[in-house]
Amino acid sequence: MILTVTLNPTLDKFYWVDELPLSLDRPEEAILIRSERSLSSAGGKGINVSTFLASHGVETVALGFLAGHTGQIILQDLLARGVTANFVWIPGENRTNVTVIARGREYHPLLIHEQGPPIPEEGMRIFLRKYERMLRQADCVVLGGSLPPGCPPDCYRELVRRAHRAGVRTVVHAGGEPMVRTIPEGPYLVKPDVREELRLGDLPVGTAEEIVQAGRWMVSQGVRASLISHQVTGDILVTPEGVWELEARVPLATFKNLVGADDALVGGILVGLTRGLDLLEASRYGMAAALATAEVEEKLCLSPAAIERELPQVVIRPRGER
Amino acid sequence: MKAQDLMRRDLTSVELDAPVAHVIYLLHQSGFSSLPVLDEEGRVVGIISERDLIRAALPGYVEMLQSAAFLPSLDRITRKLREIGGKPVSEFMVRDLVLARPDDNDLYLADLMIRKGLKQIPVVDDGRRLVGVVRRIDLLHRLGQ
Repeated sequence: MILTVTLNPTLDKFYWVDELPLSLDRPEEAILIRSERSLSSAGGKGINVSTFLASHGVETVALGFLAGHTGQIILQDLLARGVTANFVWIPGENRTNVTVIARGREYHPLLIHEQGPPIPEEGMRIFLRKYERMLRQADCVVLGGSLPPGCPPDCYRELVRRAHRAGVRTVVHAGGEPMVRTIPEGPYLVKPDVREELRLGDLPVGTAEEIVQAGRWMVSQGVRASLISHQVTGDILVTPEGVWELEARVPLATFKNLVGADDALVGGILVGLTRGLDLLEASRYGMAAALATAEVEEKLCLSPAAIERELPQVVIRPRGER
Repeated sequence: MKAQDLMRRDLTSVELDAPVAHVIYLLHQSGFSSLPVLDEEGRVVGIISERDLIRAALPGYVEMLQSAAFLPSLDRITRKLREIGGKPVSEFMVRDLVLARPDDNDLYLADLMIRKGLKQIPVVDDGRRLVGVVRRIDLLHRLGQ
């Protein structure tokens, strides 16, 4: 069973518009943007990974915090998608993250992310007991997404430590300081979120060479594999055995919604590993899942057949080879 | 149809030492009318329902509720609920459990619900760990389709 942790779940709302006139030339007027289409779904990185896994028949349990009316909507959506949910209810209201996608600029959406409710001390105590109990049934834990307000930056490190103590493999699918602090604990796979800042702690990750250096540093600290996005259609995988470039050979114009692509990548890798593939081949399936996801309007492509069709587009080569 | 096809895979539950005030909060938030109570190993060892809490707050009141003509002061319930709010759920839960297995069929579940007057039944695995909950409304919904 794969356990996912989403400490700060969200209701993801997507709006498709013809254009995004973000001009400040008319300060006296409100700007009305009409949306031709919208979608909403339960979200947060861990939840998205669980949704992907459930669609592939992989047993998964989603853990985290739910709050208020938005929490109810998130829960109903998750249950309807076949995910087993084990959440702690806290006061407040879960966040809503808005994505506005303009025609012709699908690979460059406008994102508005709320903070989410703070976690009360008692809520965290209940969560940790649930977490410890669920670890006994888990093969792998995915820690995903941002931390809610007031959550200490060592939170993910502590969760990784507890999982390793229980003999459970960990995947850290998050960004910033909370992710960097897990590195000394040696997670199996780290997929840093570098959307807000092209840095990993003190290390820049703007260029391919910088990504390789950051990956090698993480591996030297005990991380089994580091996977970092490079531009829109590429990723760089660093393991103790070597460095690989993963590339999706498709034009940007085919993309409709990139928001869930990273989560499909991680979910796809886990599906591959569950099927007994090695990390490289599992990463190929993950890239195909990310590609198939980017090519649909829904946040995640949950069709194994569509993912299989993308496999020939994925190129994996040792870094430096052409 | 089997329990595993009907159940909600929602593992909302409380532990033996959860205070009554938290249970009331959770019942309100989750929309469940009762919650499974788990031990340290995650095994279902009890059930706590709205009815059990009313009974705990006002012994004998549940029976009186059957006669709609009688309604005592609500202040008394409020006071009593505050008194027991910090006490552990283990003092008030029902230990005589009705549990389902994932491969129990719908006829069996419906029969259990009617005979025992239950709105929902926890579904457990071989280790008695919670894997879902079948609600009466889930069964009605499926049968009506």
